Amino acid sequence: MEEEIKRTSQHYEMELQSVKQNLLYLGALTEHAIENVLISLLDRKSELARAVIDGDAEIDKLDTEIEDQCIRLLALRQPIARDLRFITTGIKINGHLERIGDMAVNIAERVLSLNEEPQLKPYIDLPRMAEIAREMIRGSIDAFVREDCQLANRIRRMDATIDTLNEQIFRELLTFMLEDARTIRRALLIMQISKNLERIADHAKGIADMVVYMVTGINVRHQWPGDTPDEICDIKRVEE
Amino acid sequence: MRGKLFFKIFGTYLVIAVLAIGIIGLLAVSQIREKLDRQIEAELFAYARIVDLYSMKEIEQRAEQIAKITRARVTVVDRDGTVIAETDRDLLDMGSHFDRPEIQEARVRGRGTATRYSQTVGEEMKYVALPFRKGDQIVGYIRLARPLVEVRRGIEEFTGILLRSSLVILILSILVAFFFSRRLTSPIRQMEQFTEKLRRGEDPGTLLIRSSDEIGVLAENINFIVGELHERIGALQEEKAKVEAAFSSAMDGVLLLGNDGKIETVNQGMRNMIGESFGNILDKTPLEAFRNLDLQKALDQYRATGQPVFHEITFGEEPHTVFDVAITPVRGVEGSEGKAMLVFHDVTRLKKLERVRADFVANVTHEIKTPLTAILGFVETLQEGAIEDKATARRFLTPITRHAERLNRLVEDLLTISNIELGEMRFYFESVALSGAVEGAVNIIQLKAKEKNIRLNRQVPEELPRIRADRDRLSQVLLNVLDNAVKFTPEGGSVTLTAEPATGNEVVVRIEDTGIGVPRDEISRLGERFYRVDKTRSRELGGTGLGLSIVKHLMQAHRGRMEIESQLGRGTTVSLYFPLSGEPVS
Repeated sequence: MEEEIKRTSQHYEMELQSVKQNLLYLGALTEHAIENVLISLLDRKSELARAVIDGDAEIDKLDTEIEDQCIRLLALRQPIARDLRFITTGIKINGHLERIGDMAVNIAERVLSLNEEPQLKPYIDLPRMAEIAREMIRGSIDAFVREDCQLANRIRRMDATIDTLNEQIFRELLTFMLEDARTIRRALLIMQISKNLERIADHAKGIADMVVYMVTGINVRHQWPGDTPDEICDIKRVEE
Repeated sequence: MRGKLFFKIFGTYLVIAVLAIGIIGLLAVSQIREKLDRQIEAELFAYARIVDLYSMKEIEQRAEQIAKITRARVTVVDRDGTVIAETDRDLLDMGSHFDRPEIQEARVRGRGTATRYSQTVGEEMKYVALPFRKGDQIVGYIRLARPLVEVRRGIEEFTGILLRSSLVILILSILVAFFFSRRLTSPIRQMEQFTEKLRRGEDPGTLLIRSSDEIGVLAENINFIVGELHERIGALQEEKAKVEAAFSSAMDGVLLLGNDGKIETVNQGMRNMIGESFGNILDKTPLEAFRNLDLQKALDQYRATGQPVFHEITFGEEPHTVFDVAITPVRGVEGSEGKAMLVFHDVTRLKKLERVRADFVANVTHEIKTPLTAILGFVETLQEGAIEDKATARRFLTPITRHAERLNRLVEDLLTISNIELGEMRFYFESVALSGAVEGAVNIIQLKAKEKNIRLNRQVPEELPRIRADRDRLSQVLLNVLDNAVKFTPEGGSVTLTAEPATGNEVVVRIEDTGIGVPRDEISRLGERFYRVDKTRSRELGGTGLGLSIVKHLMQAHRGRMEIESQLGRGTTVSLYFPLSGEPVS
């Protein structure tokens, strides 16, 4: 009997580990997609953009798998406390990552259109945005893996930079469009890319929110990141 | 301090000694008591039989006398038990003695004995009774009684002797037991301390027990086993140290993955390669630790096939580190099933070299293509009729020649470089006076300098030591550097050549210009092939982009070196260090 309980709990532990590994893999996939889509934009390599679009199938498949895994764990093991928070957080992070993958596809499609025409202007802010967005995904997943609340909180604050950059790009493109009507199509495509990157950063912030929740048990999703003090991380959830 | 074992053995000896003495004593006492008892009984019976020969009357009269001789109390009773005669007069009126056991026994069996405590005498008494007969009729009984004082005394005496001798024996046996137990336990005690030291990991030395019995053999065996153990541990440690040294000092990074897919061991090489950026990677999966998609895909491939996987993996942010990663199963070690070894070989430098080579090919193509395109363009124009127009045709010849010359220069430079690099260039090193070589080079450049109105100064002292150099290559080096200096110095500037002895058996030639200079962070790249600070300008000036590269290579072949200092907008100083020939100045 005792042996059986031990074996069961070992198996349970393995299933939790598997969810974690799969989430990490999904994170790496989305990160990779953003990296590739950026290179395809900067180096005008359409084949990389197409690879990103094709690669979304893998992301979707993994998304379904992780969700199934989590639901099965919830139904069969009825986890409590820490494990329950881990699984629910996992489900949410999974959703965020899947959406990020979709947005990478959106960007890839715009890049394909852009690559058909001459480059409107040298990209300066867009790569910076993409880099920050990638860093945010990486950081938020890092925070999730290490259960690092401080890091998660830092990631949450990076969102503001992305918003500023997005607005900056908007204003810049507006002047282009006002000057020359022929640039409108390309400018709009770039704007959509910028918007998608901004949304990606939002999702990364969402992941970081969930990490803060997972570690502290405090919901910061609807809180302005600047208002969240780092001391929040010192509050360790009292385990029931 | 004596151990438990000592007291066990010692105690056992003592118990055995005490028990032996006790049992022997008890047996002896009871034997002696019985023997004395029987002896008294027999004696009394013998007397009684003799007394029995008398008549009742005679006994009555001589009772006293009988009592004295037999040292016994004499009682005569008639058939009913009434006392007729009694040596102790006080006891005459004691009533019937018929119910006394000895009388009863005598009546039934013809003789009777009894031992009982007599209240009157206050002593244990032995009674013996015989019947008087007249014909077949019993008419009375005679009874003799003697107190058992003698027996008691005898036994007491004997017990005394016994106790005294027991004490002596006991003391003796305690001594014997003590020495014997000590002899038995001290080697065991020694062994115990020895093994205890061994257990704590101290060096126990050697067990010194000289004995030919089992304990001696045991000690010898222990010594042998310990010796063997030390040897084996030593061998193992040495082996381990070797493996560890190899593992930790390997330049390549090595990771060991456990059965659970988590990182078990990391060597120093790996730590050095990845630095601190990944934090603690132990006990994490590679995905957790590095979050590298390519690595994960390689691992997945390895897990799916079980075959070794070799993969090129890019790590980290710009500048990337490129690793050749080999994933192989760990074999031949017990308990290593399912473990994997990842060896990371840093190929970043190789990758960079590969790119430099690819760049070189691209550069060469580009450099060749530009003049070729120009030449072809002019030729085509000529073919399409411009040749008829003599003036234009002649005008076209000049640029065609110029571009062809440039192509020629380029090819020559490339040949020079490739010859140096392949080691096919022959050098004839001899002792050269620098002043002569400088003279020749300056004379050639002088024309060009005059065209641009640039002052060309030189200060080469006559007494300068001779250097070891190839005459032709030396002037090529000087020409290249001087040509560069003039080329990049605006009109009205100056180029100064100085030479002086330098420390370390060298002579340094400095060529200083007041030219446009080079940005600080690009100085280090000046020796690279086709590297130009300002691409268009340099090409306008007719450079191939190989000049300084050739100088650098030639200086290396001379076992000298080239150093460049520069300030943007102020000018550049190229210092050439030549080794001395060792020959005196003529």
